[in-house]
Amino acid sequence: MKVTAQPSADTLTLLLDGELDASSAIVLDTELAKPDILNYRKVLIDCAKLSYISSAGLGVFISHLQRFQDANVKLVFFNMQEKVFNVFEILGLDALMTIVPSAAEAEAA
Amino acid sequence: MPLTALSWLLLLLSALSHSGAGPWLGGSWPQWTTQLAQGAFVLGAFLYYRYQPSPLQGQAFIRLLRRLLTGPGLLALGCIGLHLLERLLSQDSGLNSNSILFTSIYTLNLGLFVIFLARTNYAWRALVLFRSSARLQREWTIFEVLLGATLLFRLVGVNPPNYLAIPIVVLLGLYGIYLSGHQKWVAYLSQREKWRAVLLQAGLLFSVLVFVQYFRVTQVDPQLIAPQPQHAFLLLTAFFSAFYALMGLLVTFFNMPIADVIEQRRNEILRLQRLTQIIQRGQTTAEVYHILLESAVQTVQADAAWLDLDPSHAGIDAADATQYYNLPPALADAMRTRLQGHDLPEGEFITNDLNARVGFEGTSQHYRSLLQLPLRGLHFNYGMLYLLKLEPHTFDREDLSILQTFTSQAVLSIENLELVRTSLANQRTQEELKIASQVQDSLIPKNLPTDNWFEISSHSLAAKEVGGDFYDFLHLPGRRLAVIIGDVSGKGVTAAFHMAQMKGIFHSLMQENPLAKNERDKFPVPSRFMAQANTALTHCLEKSSFITSSLYIIDYEQGGFVFARAGHCHTLYYHALREEVFYFESQGLGLGIIRNESYEKHIKNQFYDYSPGDVMVIYTDGIVEARGGDGTDEYGEDRLKLRLEESYFQEAEDIKNFILDDLNGFTHGHPIHDDQTLLVIKFKSAQPLPLA
Repeated sequence: MKVTAQPSADTLTLLLDGELDASSAIVLDTELAKPDILNYRKVLIDCAKLSYISSAGLGVFISHLQRFQDANVKLVFFNMQEKVFNVFEILGLDALMTIVPSAAEAEAA
Repeated sequence: MPLTALSWLLLLLSALSHSGAGPWLGGSWPQWTTQLAQGAFVLGAFLYYRYQPSPLQGQAFIRLLRRLLTGPGLLALGCIGLHLLERLLSQDSGLNSNSILFTSIYTLNLGLFVIFLARTNYAWRALVLFRSSARLQREWTIFEVLLGATLLFRLVGVNPPNYLAIPIVVLLGLYGIYLSGHQKWVAYLSQREKWRAVLLQAGLLFSVLVFVQYFRVTQVDPQLIAPQPQHAFLLLTAFFSAFYALMGLLVTFFNMPIADVIEQRRNEILRLQRLTQIIQRGQTTAEVYHILLESAVQTVQADAAWLDLDPSHAGIDAADATQYYNLPPALADAMRTRLQGHDLPEGEFITNDLNARVGFEGTSQHYRSLLQLPLRGLHFNYGMLYLLKLEPHTFDREDLSILQTFTSQAVLSIENLELVRTSLANQRTQEELKIASQVQDSLIPKNLPTDNWFEISSHSLAAKEVGGDFYDFLHLPGRRLAVIIGDVSGKGVTAAFHMAQMKGIFHSLMQENPLAKNERDKFPVPSRFMAQANTALTHCLEKSSFITSSLYIIDYEQGGFVFARAGHCHTLYYHALREEVFYFESQGLGLGIIRNESYEKHIKNQFYDYSPGDVMVIYTDGIVEARGGDGTDEYGEDRLKLRLEESYFQEAEDIKNFILDDLNGFTHGHPIHDDQTLLVIKFKSAQPLPLA
């Protein structure tokens, strides 16, 4: 699992590459827990190369969800593979989080 | 033995027949009887001792020598005594009368001499063959056979000419000398034992010489009529006995100067063994350090020493971090300060004149030589060992290498002790996990509800000792059955705790509400249950954890069920009338994701009427996400659906087994990475079949 951060003016894009399981969840959690992440207006998660997400991986997003909402930072997922999207959907997270097909829509969201 | 005694008696008689007693014994017996008797006696005596158990027991060399001297050695004394007695008697009376006495004593002495030689020879055999190779044993046997041959030659009366006999005897003598070179046992004597060995061997040598002297004197005695002891066999064995004793004596004697070194080496080995054995006896780290210090001091004969340990690694209390040997702590402190004040090498080094050392110049130290040696572990140093001697230039490289063996052995012991401790702790944890596993097992219903309206079959398997999957049943009044399934995110002990909690929540929320106005509100509907459960979990679930669950309330009087899905896997269903397998598509958010009142908006109830023959498959993601193939393939919802399409007509138990067999075939060779739970419910005809 590799997490690459691409900051721009008011948007932070995080590229996830690999399987997000219990061990790699720690890497992502450190990234999301940084205090200055709340200075962005939007945090975009590029899931194009995310091949698998475990419940521990979902837990990382869930645990930061409230904090992002409170700080008015928008969390947007895009380029999600169908298999990964299924996992979000079954848990009911698709109704709670913004998941869009492409980068362009993510920018617009 | 009786044969030997008999042949000796024969020898005596035949000898006497040549003496003054001849007339009474029917004149002189032929020469060959004497020869035969003597030969048989010698052979008997040697064979007797040959087959006695080895006189050497363990390493009791001194005992062997002492017994040899006090037994056969005393015989020699007796021999002289008899000789002197005989001489005295012969002075008193006439010649004629004592020729009988002379011959008797002579024959007796000959017997004693033979017995002495036999015993000595076989005692020497035990010493020569002590820790010997197979080759040496063979060589000894050849020696015995050759000696036996000389005896036989004599016995059958073959008398080779001198030019042939002498080289043979000389060669055998040389062979005996060669065998005498095997004095390995001397190395196993301690210093004190060596002195005793020298004395005992000198005594034995003296015994042999006394015998030989006696026979040399009597040989020239005109009174000697028969028999001739000058016999190649006896000559050779006497020579061997004497020579081995002499060699042993010399080897022991010249061994003494190096005995110290050998003993010291042996002590080093013993100390090392002691250090190794500590771990097996389960002693403490403090004892290991103590023995290390003691052994080191004794090995290099240091006058004083101290051991500085690092309490953070050494596994001891700070109070025991320094151990002293014959050294006042104040002096050690002073030295330590001086040593630390200067840039000294980290590792081992020797200072052979402290007064000249940097940091010590001009100070007249009581101790002049210092050896410093770290206790090196795999990852860090456990401490430092300092040894002191009063004299300068007393430590050398060799001391250092011996001590290094000691310190590494000590460190090994310490690390082993640590390992033993850790593995004990692990074992305890394992035991506790086993108990947790048993406790959790008792939380999973063993007796599935049975009725003739439906069949239930269940399966559950945890990836670790304890898991986060759960399911349960509860009979509600009015022929209703509540079925719950759930999965706590994560695995192991944390998940297991929340699983138990969820079971408690299920049982407490599914209680009849006495205030409810109508029958319907007495028990919470599934969506209401989920909302209440979500609230109950709000404060006890960690932020990143969540629980997925589905609750079904089956009303088998009405032939329908209502369920809510809180983020749990979709329910797989076979509809008997439409002959169709499908997944229920319903919305619902997992528990613990939103932790406020708004959760209820995210959960819905779904009602459904069932018909007899319908099959419901409820499971956790451990089933559909099970890995197979190259390790990235998942079992998947589609494959599960296909299996139900192939097996819906079977009994619930068989459907479950059919799916599990397929799953196990798919995951074969891959470890289970998530807990697996599978429930199969098959609805049957609404009324029990009337009895035929």
